[in-house]
Amino acid sequence: MGILHHLQHWLNGQGLQLQPVEFVPETHAIRLWADTFPWDAMVDAVTQSFAQRFPKKRAKGGRAPVSPRVLLALELLKHELGESDEGICQRLRTDVAVMYACGLREVQADGSQAHFVLPETLAQFRRRIDPDLMDKLVAIQAAAAMEEGLVSPAHLLVDTFPSEQGSQRVTDATTLYKAQKKPSSHRANQQTGHRSRHDLEHASC
Amino acid sequence: MRSFGRQCRGQGKVFVKLVRQTEQRLLDLGESIETWTQQAKALLHQGTQLSEAQREHLLRDLEAASDAHRQVVKQSQRLTQGKKLRQFKIVNAYDPTIAPILKGKSNCPAQFGRKIGILSDPAGGFIFANRVPEGNPSDPSYVLPLLDKVQQAIDLVTSPSPFQVHSLGGDLGVNDPELRQALHDRGILSVGIPTTVEPINPQPSPEEVLAILNASGLNRIRTPHQVHLACASGYSRPVVESHIATLMSRGAGELPYKGLEGAVVQMGMTVMAHNGAVLVRIHQQRLSKRGQKFRRLLGLRRRNIKRMRSQEVEREAIFSRARKDQVDVHRTSW
Repeated sequence: MGILHHLQHWLNGQGLQLQPVEFVPETHAIRLWADTFPWDAMVDAVTQSFAQRFPKKRAKGGRAPVSPRVLLALELLKHELGESDEGICQRLRTDVAVMYACGLREVQADGSQAHFVLPETLAQFRRRIDPDLMDKLVAIQAAAAMEEGLVSPAHLLVDTFPSEQGSQRVTDATTLYKAQKKPSSHRANQQTGHRSRHDLEHASC
Repeated sequence: MRSFGRQCRGQGKVFVKLVRQTEQRLLDLGESIETWTQQAKALLHQGTQLSEAQREHLLRDLEAASDAHRQVVKQSQRLTQGKKLRQFKIVNAYDPTIAPILKGKSNCPAQFGRKIGILSDPAGGFIFANRVPEGNPSDPSYVLPLLDKVQQAIDLVTSPSPFQVHSLGGDLGVNDPELRQALHDRGILSVGIPTTVEPINPQPSPEEVLAILNASGLNRIRTPHQVHLACASGYSRPVVESHIATLMSRGAGELPYKGLEGAVVQMGMTVMAHNGAVLVRIHQQRLSKRGQKFRRLLGLRRRNIKRMRSQEVEREAIFSRARKDQVDVHRTSW
C-alpha cells in the first residue's frame, strides 16, 4: 500500500476542537525539545529529496497525504522517547504534547478513530530516507544551532563506538549446539517430573 | 573503544570440530541451490502471467540471494579446510556489510555490527556529524569524512561571522601521522590527539604553545588562545564517553533497522534527538561547570542570552499578533 493511502483522518473529525499550542505547558519537556528543531528547513529538505528521487505524481482527488512534518517529528520522537512505531503512533492519538511536537495546531477527532497515522506509514516514510538526506538533516540542525550562537564547532572530539546489528549468534555450530542442548534438557525436565505450562493447562481442563 | 556482547568467555569448550562438521553438512545441503536457481530463472522467463517489471524485480532478488549464497559457500569452504578467514568476513547472509567489530574466539559470543563515528562538541555534547561506514574500517579513516560533514553544516550558516574548526581531539586510536598532516593542512590543530597514554597538559606554558604552533605549521593561522583551548579540549576528551552513553540510552547500542541504510537512518535520528535534548539543556543553562567555562571561553554565553531574549520578544509579538487576528476573524464571522 502506498504512503498516500494513509490519510490525515483528523481533517474530517467531528469531535471537539483541541489546540495543542494552548494546551501543552510551555515548560513541558517534549515542547521544549520540539522547539529546538528548524522544522521548516528540515521539511523542505525532505520534500525536495523525495520529489527528486520519487517523482511519481499522485492521482488527482482523494484526501491529502500525511505531512512530512508529522512523519519526521514522529520518527525523531520515537528515538527521543524510546518508543516503537506502534507506540509512538498511539501516543500521537492520545498525547497532546506529541501532537504539538508533530506541528498539529488544531485537532478535531472522533472517539472512534484509533489512529491519526498508521505505523506502516511511518515505516514507509523511513524507507524513503537515504544517507545523503540524513546527513543533510543533521547538517541543517547543526547549522541552525550555530546560527543561533548556541554551539560552536571550533574544538571537536572524535570517537567511535560499536553497535549491534543483526543476529548475534556467532556460528552455525553454536546454533546447532544450542539446538542439541534444548531437547536433551527438555527430556531431563520431563524425567524429573517437571510439567510444562501446556501440560498444566490440559490437566486443569 | 567499548565492546558489547554476552560475557561467556572461558567456558573451556572449543567448538572448532563441531564448526567444521556443521559447515560440511550445510555445504552438502546447499549444493543443489545453484541448480534450483537456474531452474527458477528458466521458469521466470517462461512465465507469462508476470509483468516485465515484476519479472525484473524477482530476477534481481534471486540474483542477490544466489550471490550471497556463493560468498557464504566460499567462506565455509575455507573454514572446513582449516584456512584462516580473510578480513571483512561475512557474518550475516542477508547483509554482507555487517562486520565483526572486535576479535573473538570460536566459543565466544558474536561481536559484530557497525562501528559508528561521532564528532562532538566538548562544551555541551552537541554532535555535529556522525558516520556509519560499511564493515569495520580503521579509526583514523573516520576523521576526514566527518570533518567534511561539519564543513557542509558550516556552509549552511548564513551569519556574517564564519565558523571554523580550530582543533580536534581523539584517543590513541586516531593517532596517525598522515591524519595529523591532513588536519594541519586544513588549519586544524591536532594537539588534542595524544601520542602516549599520558594525559594531555591542559595548561601549556608559552614555550610549549609556541612549539605546538611551530610543529603543526599553523603559527600564523592559529592563536595561542586557541592552542590553550585545544589542549583543554584534548584533556577533557573522556567527556565524549558521556555523549556516547546518552546515545546508547536512546537505543544506539542496538540497531534493529535493517541493512546499512537502516543503520544510517537510525543513527541519524538518534543523533538529532540527542542534539535536541542538548539544545534544551543549553537554553536552560543546565551544563556542567566545565561546559559552562568552555562556552564562556568560546564567547558563546553572552551572545546567547541576548539572542534568546530578542527571540522571546519576537515570539511574543508573533503570538499576540496571531491572537489579535483570530479575535478579528471570530468577530467578522459572528
